[in-house]
Amino acid sequence: MKLTTLSSNKHFQTWFKSPWTYVTGAILLSIFQIATIGSTGGSWGVTGPFATWGAWVYQAFGGSVDHWYFFSTESGQASLQRTFFTDPASVRNLGVIIGALLATLLASQFKFKKIKNLRQVAAAVIGGLLMGYGARIAFGCNIGALYSGISNLSVSGWVFALFMFAGAFIGSKLLVKYFMA
Amino acid sequence: MSEEAVKVITEEPSDASSRIEAEPSSGRSSRRSSRRSAERKPKKDQTIYGLGVLAIVIAVGVYLAAAISAVMGIFWVTGIAFGFILRRTNFCFTASMRDPIMTGSTSLTRAVLIAFAITSIGFAAIQYGAFTTGLPVPGMGFVVPISFATAAGAFMFGIGMVLAGGCASGTLMRIGEGYGMQLLSIVFFVLGSFWAARDMGWWTLNFISNGPRIHLPDVFGWGGAIFVQLLIIGLLYMAADKWENRKQDQES
Amino acid sequence: MAEYELDCLGEACPVPLVKTENKLKELAVGDTLIVIIDHSCALKNVPEWARKQNYDVEVEEIGDGEYEIFIDKTA
Repeated sequence: MKLTTLSSNKHFQTWFKSPWTYVTGAILLSIFQIATIGSTGGSWGVTGPFATWGAWVYQAFGGSVDHWYFFSTESGQASLQRTFFTDPASVRNLGVIIGALLATLLASQFKFKKIKNLRQVAAAVIGGLLMGYGARIAFGCNIGALYSGISNLSVSGWVFALFMFAGAFIGSKLLVKYFMA
Repeated sequence: MSEEAVKVITEEPSDASSRIEAEPSSGRSSRRSSRRSAERKPKKDQTIYGLGVLAIVIAVGVYLAAAISAVMGIFWVTGIAFGFILRRTNFCFTASMRDPIMTGSTSLTRAVLIAFAITSIGFAAIQYGAFTTGLPVPGMGFVVPISFATAAGAFMFGIGMVLAGGCASGTLMRIGEGYGMQLLSIVFFVLGSFWAARDMGWWTLNFISNGPRIHLPDVFGWGGAIFVQLLIIGLLYMAADKWENRKQDQES
Repeated sequence: MAEYELDCLGEACPVPLVKTENKLKELAVGDTLIVIIDHSCALKNVPEWARKQNYDVEVEEIGDGEYEIFIDKTA
C-alpha cells in the first residue's frame, strides 16, 4: 500500500490532517489531565524541571548550586541526583515535543522555520528569560500555575491568571510597538 | 462558537496541490489555484516519517516502562498525548489572553475556560474521593502560597509569553513543529528559571513564606468550592462571549 | 478586483493576523488579499477573523506547512 494512499484516505484525514476544534482540545486536554492526576498523584506541569536542567548544565561546567536555598530542600536535592530519563517531568516535557512532532509529520506539515530577523531573536531571548524567571518564582507557568492551579481549586491559580492577563496586556502593547515591522 | 471544522479535499496523489475548501467555491478559486499551482513546489508526503516517529515513541515507552518504572512510561505517554492534542487543536494559552487584547477574539479564551471547568470537576471528584476515604489527596502540591511573588511572576510570565510567541506548553509544541524561534526561547526560558532559582532564597524569605495557601474547599467545602469555581468560570465565559461580539459590532 | 499578496512567511504569531487586518483596511471592496503563511496559528486565526468580517475565505496548502489564504473583501 502506497503511503500517499494512506494519507489521502478520508478517515486518515479526519484523524490526522484536518484541524480539530478548540473545544475538542479543551475536552481532550482535560481527559489527560485527569488521567495524569489519577495515575501520577499530581497534575500536569511544564516548567518544574527547568531550574534543574540549568543546574545539570552548570554542574557539568564545574559550577556548584550546593549553597542555593532552592536546591537545599529535599526535592531540590533529589532532582539534582536524577538524570534526564530518570526525571519524570523532563520525560513528559520531551513527550510533549515529540507528540507535537508526531502530529505535525502525520499531517505532512513539518517545515523548519528559521528565525527571520534580529527582532525575533530579541523577542525570544527577552520573552524566554521573563517566562523562566516568572514561572520559577510563581511556582509554575500557564500549565502548572494557571491550568493546574485553578483546576486544583487553588486561589493561587486565579491570582496567577489575573496578573498573567495584565502581563499579556503590557506584552501586547510592547509587541506592537517594538517587535513588529 | 465562530470556528468551523475545515474540510480537506485531496485530489489524486499525483496532483501537487490540495485545496482546503471551507465555503462553497465561487468558481473563481479553481482558475486562481490552477494559475498559481504552476508555481508550486512539490509537497512531500511526510507520513512515513510520522510512522517512523510513532515507532520510536512506542519503543521509548516500552523501554521506560520496563527499565525504569510503569509510572515513567505514563509520564512519557501523557506527554505525547498532550503534545499531540495541543498540535492537532492549535491550542495556545498565550493566544487565549493575547487575542482578546490584540484582535478581539475570545474563541481560545472560552476553550481554556471550558478546560478549566472540566478538569476542575474531574480533579475534585478524585480528590473528594480520596479525602472522604482518608487517603492522601493528590494534586495538593499545586496549591501554592499566594504572595507578591505570585503576582510578579505571573506578570513577568504574561509579558514574556506574548513577546516570545508562546507560553510553556506552546513553546514545547512549537519546537516539535520546527520553529527555530522557540528553540532559542526555551534556552533562555531555562536560563531564566535557573537565575530565579538562585534568587529563590530571597523571594522565599521576603514574600513566599508569608503567603497563605488557599484551597477553595477549605473555605466553601467541596461542594461549595466547585459551585464557586464553576460560577466564576461561567461568568468569565459570558464576559468573553460578550467581548468577542462587542468587537464585532464595533468593526462592522 | 485587484489581487494583493501579503508574505508572512517566517512571522511569529500574531503578526500574520495583525498585518492581514491592517492590509485589508487599505483594500477596496472586491479586492482579494492572498496571505502566505507557514505558522499553524495563523492558519486558524486568520480565516476565523476574516469569516467573522463576512469575507469569503479559501485556504490552500502550497507546501509542507505552507499555506495561501485567499480573502475576498466582499463588503
